[in-house]
Amino acid sequence: MNIQFKKGVLELCVLVLLSKNDCYGYELVEKISKYINISEGTVYPLLRRLQKEGYFTSYLKESTEGPPRKYYKITDEGKKIKNELIDEWNHFVKGVNSIINEEDLNE
Amino acid sequence: MNKKEFIDILKNQLYGLPKEDIDEILYDYEEHFSVGLGRGKLEDEISKELGDPKKIAKSYKAHIVIENAQNNPTPTNIVKAVIATIALGLFNLIFVLGPFIGLVGVLIGLFGAALGITVAGIGAFFGSIFAPVFGGNVSVNPIGAAFMGIGTTALGILFLILNIYVVKFAYKGTVKYLKYNIDIIKK
Repeated sequence: MNIQFKKGVLELCVLVLLSKNDCYGYELVEKISKYINISEGTVYPLLRRLQKEGYFTSYLKESTEGPPRKYYKITDEGKKIKNELIDEWNHFVKGVNSIINEEDLNE
Repeated sequence: MNKKEFIDILKNQLYGLPKEDIDEILYDYEEHFSVGLGRGKLEDEISKELGDPKKIAKSYKAHIVIENAQNNPTPTNIVKAVIATIALGLFNLIFVLGPFIGLVGVLIGLFGAALGITVAGIGAFFGSIFAPVFGGNVSVNPIGAAFMGIGTTALGILFLILNIYVVKFAYKGTVKYLKYNIDIIKK
């Protein structure tokens, strides 16, 4: 898939997943790469940036296997941004689809 | 690439960042490896999925350096941020370096002009005062010329002060532009 497409979308995916429930890094990466083919390492710099911007916080939680895991929890600000991004995304997809379908009609 | 190689490269490439940041970043990847291994994946497989550690490090670096430039806008920090952004790719070389050099050029020009006006004002002031002493011939009223000198000097200084505000504005603009660039570029 086109790299340019993924960049903005990744942020939206992370926020949507975290609004459903708290996740640790590996879980997020796994959930995203199940649907979108990404370089998994790109998720962590994004997580760090979004956390610094205050869209979510993190906490450590013991796990039954291995060392404690870093969980991410969305903040109210993160939820607000998420909703804005979803609106933008829907608007964008609708627009692109209109163009694609219009082209089909002309062919 | 096994886990140790991956972490070592990442660590080396992050050199120069605050130790606290490096530790936190490495923790995330340690955890990623440990969870992946727990699920029966191989180290090679995990590092391949993560991607090139050099690229990952660049992405962290650019963000941290830009943030630093934003919180603490000194010329050195701004230049560091520009360099880190350029390091992300050729695209940035063209779209960051060009405008940046242009901007710096304009700022130097503005300061030059302001300094020029100030010096001219001082020159006019002293010139008009001392011209009669040295027997020079000033075609305008020396007192008028002296006041004109003072006025010009004041104008030049005002221009200098205005330029300082322009520089502050340029700082903020540059940092914003770098952020915008990174958001477009990063993978």
